[in-house]
Amino acid sequence: MKKIIFPMLLFCMSITFSQIKVDDVKTFTLENGMKFLVVEDFSIPNANMYSFYKVGSRNEHQGITGLSHFFEHMMFNGAKKYGPKLFDQTMEFNGGSNNAYTTENVTVYTDWFPVSALETIFDLESDRIANLSIDPNMVESERGVVLSERRTGLENSPWRSLGEAVQATAFQEHPYHWPVIGYQDDMKHWTQGDLERYFKTYYAPNNCVVVISGAVKTEEVKRLAKKYMEPIPAQPEPPKVFIVEPAQTGERRITVQKDVAAPYMMIGYHTPEAKNDDYYALDILSSILTSGNSSRLYKALVDSQLAIGIFTDYGLSFDPYLFNFYVVSNQEVSTDTVEKTIYDVLDKIKEEGITEKELQKIKNQKLMEFYNQVETIDGKSNNIGTYELFFGDYKKMFDAPANFNKVTIDDVKRVTKKYFTKSNRTVGVLKANVEE
Amino acid sequence: MRKTTILFCSLLVMALNIQAQSYKLPDYKSFTLSNGLTVNLMEQHDVPVISVSVILPAGAIYDSSQSGIASLTANALKHGTNNYTKSKLDEALDYVGATISTYSGKEYAGLSSKFATKDQELVLNLIKEILIAPTFDVTEFEKAKARTLVSLTQEKESPRSVIGDYNNKLIYGNHVYSNKINGLESTVSQFTVNDIKSFYKTHYSPNNAAISIVGDFSTKAMKKSISKLFSSWKKGKTSENLASQPVVPYSEAKVLLVNKEDAKETTFYIGGKGISRNNTDYIGIDIVNTLFGGRFTSMLNDELRVNSGLTYGAGSRFNTYRYSGTFYISTFTALETTEQAIDKTLEVLRNLHENGLDEKGLTSAKNYVKGQFPPDYETTGQLAGLLSEMFWFDFDKSFINDFEKNVDAINLKKANEIIKTYFPKDKLQFVLIGKTEAIKDIAKKYGKVINVEIKEEITGEY
Repeated sequence: MKKIIFPMLLFCMSITFSQIKVDDVKTFTLENGMKFLVVEDFSIPNANMYSFYKVGSRNEHQGITGLSHFFEHMMFNGAKKYGPKLFDQTMEFNGGSNNAYTTENVTVYTDWFPVSALETIFDLESDRIANLSIDPNMVESERGVVLSERRTGLENSPWRSLGEAVQATAFQEHPYHWPVIGYQDDMKHWTQGDLERYFKTYYAPNNCVVVISGAVKTEEVKRLAKKYMEPIPAQPEPPKVFIVEPAQTGERRITVQKDVAAPYMMIGYHTPEAKNDDYYALDILSSILTSGNSSRLYKALVDSQLAIGIFTDYGLSFDPYLFNFYVVSNQEVSTDTVEKTIYDVLDKIKEEGITEKELQKIKNQKLMEFYNQVETIDGKSNNIGTYELFFGDYKKMFDAPANFNKVTIDDVKRVTKKYFTKSNRTVGVLKANVEE
Repeated sequence: MRKTTILFCSLLVMALNIQAQSYKLPDYKSFTLSNGLTVNLMEQHDVPVISVSVILPAGAIYDSSQSGIASLTANALKHGTNNYTKSKLDEALDYVGATISTYSGKEYAGLSSKFATKDQELVLNLIKEILIAPTFDVTEFEKAKARTLVSLTQEKESPRSVIGDYNNKLIYGNHVYSNKINGLESTVSQFTVNDIKSFYKTHYSPNNAAISIVGDFSTKAMKKSISKLFSSWKKGKTSENLASQPVVPYSEAKVLLVNKEDAKETTFYIGGKGISRNNTDYIGIDIVNTLFGGRFTSMLNDELRVNSGLTYGAGSRFNTYRYSGTFYISTFTALETTEQAIDKTLEVLRNLHENGLDEKGLTSAKNYVKGQFPPDYETTGQLAGLLSEMFWFDFDKSFINDFEKNVDAINLKKANEIIKTYFPKDKLQFVLIGKTEAIKDIAKKYGKVINVEIKEEITGEY
């Protein structure tokens, strides 16, 4: 991490990003449309490469559910120059490690390596983007792997099955209806053709943003990008996801049976995507409700012993998604009581708003959150890439403090009234006895 | 994140094909207060934040018959102090976006905290209050106890959450290292606030403890402020060293079969005795374990995941304490592939012993552990945690500064000796969590079977 502009703190008493500024992000786009964002940071002799592909389970349809995630796995199973197993073997031999994740919206590949391995990483990544080979034998063994991944998720956390049920109930038309991991029967029936089509459509340089942070020079990154990535041809733009989930017109409820000691509850409200103007106020509302032991819902539910834990999640998405509440009830407490308490807390905000002090508290927390995110080269790449994809421009990361600062008490009150209505919610309960 | 590396970065970029520059631990100052508290101060000015890590000899090994008392005591430190009620404390921290967490592990208890430089006076004072003047409010204690009791029931819903506790019982027997950190329902339900007050009184003292602070501050001013804040902390008695007692070795292969009636998969550990943290072959063992089960291309993951699709992941690790440790292989598979997966696991372990390593694999593992090393010490929190570990396990900065040199020194002969010396081969200890009815005949193949129910308490010596 470069040491820069500390004096700025003296001028800006409100939230400011003192450690990285917009000019520190260097950017260029190759002729094939592949965009690069680079942050030079020599604090450790390492670097990373985050490749964000704009494809996730929202790009699927029934019959191929889970394919985006499965494809993420197949990207490690061999290409032209580096055959099966060689991607990982070569990377690890050169001191690097990797991972990847798939969400409803994106698929992200992450490489972490000593900077001496930079060219090898480019060689490996370009090989699989240009010439992935989809070996039928690898498809079969990898199918077992993702089925195990699905099974172990369900085995170890009740949230998995409850979350899937709530999402499927809240979304009836939009592809957010199915889980990222896919339906078990679809997982067993993907074909070679499905995979090849997916690769050609979505794994194109023009559908990818690459972020590199660490002990690199931008000029060197550019040279390697031109050498390894530019020859890969662009593809036609992938089909747009045109389905818009119709407005929900009445409360929906769903129950799931599992042998648990105390009930688990989720409540999801339809809320807008990250690019919407209400994003910042909703994000602040989420913190007001559940960030820290002094938050409203922690006090109303956990302090009062109605629940063991509570958290909320208003995630980033391309299309309107959900603002979710997750509660584990206390034993002997009815889920009705827990549910009503949540609505009372929301109603109070709708009527009285929040206090100036609460708002300032959240703004202070946002600053610490930002420090934590930019303390590492990984945090930098992940954040910059996230803003570029979900907000349409990495520069929005630098506008975020101003955008959070702009949020007023009235804004928080307004969004609570607007989105947290009975007819806009889906309530899910997972418990042992579902017959009573 | 280290300023110290900026000087040679230009050299680095020019020489991309040369191995990354070795990582050196930034300078820090260390001193001891008259009450015995060790203080470590390391300046890091990249981001205007400060991280604190406190380590105290007050872990679950001191629970004796009160399983879970160390953990509840550590949590209760934040239930209020002489000058702050719990809610005032929570509000003060939340308002500035600061965090203080208190916890107990197996051997030690700890406090970790992170805050903005501008809030240091406030937060350091809160840390002092929490450590030196907790009031242990009875209402808050009862709430925490109730939450703990529910979570002790809930953890049994996830094999992954409890398998380590079963494994420790199996390997450590009645040694204090088998103590379950978060306790048992039968003991926790009996605790009163006086029990935790008494545990606090006996085990929380500055002698044998350390506070490590890393971040954006001036050492001189911080030294003054820490000395002032913590000098009034009264010295206590040194607790009896329970963990140094020898672990009674197991005499035969055993299979602890834990029935989970609704299981769709079998979660299992296979292992045995491991090493203590101060083992002189620590780095060599880490390198060999990297190849065996410590990374994606490891022998275990390659065979069980990549070649056969039996599992989402398989790995192995040495879990180390001051005086002892365990080694275990861990993975999970569908009920119907349980036998195949266990047999394959044992085959991979057998191959390690019979075939040893080759030069290319060893080079790869050495490059890997060196390449992945610097990001472990990038943040103020990571560095403060490292200083705590150095204090607890009594190793010095040469662990960091000579890491590359020590990695390079491991040759094939040494690596193969390490396999023979440290990787369990026979009398293996198994924990299988799954549906007993479906796998009981398979379990018999591997050793003496001990049947338990996941819904029962983990109290036994198996």
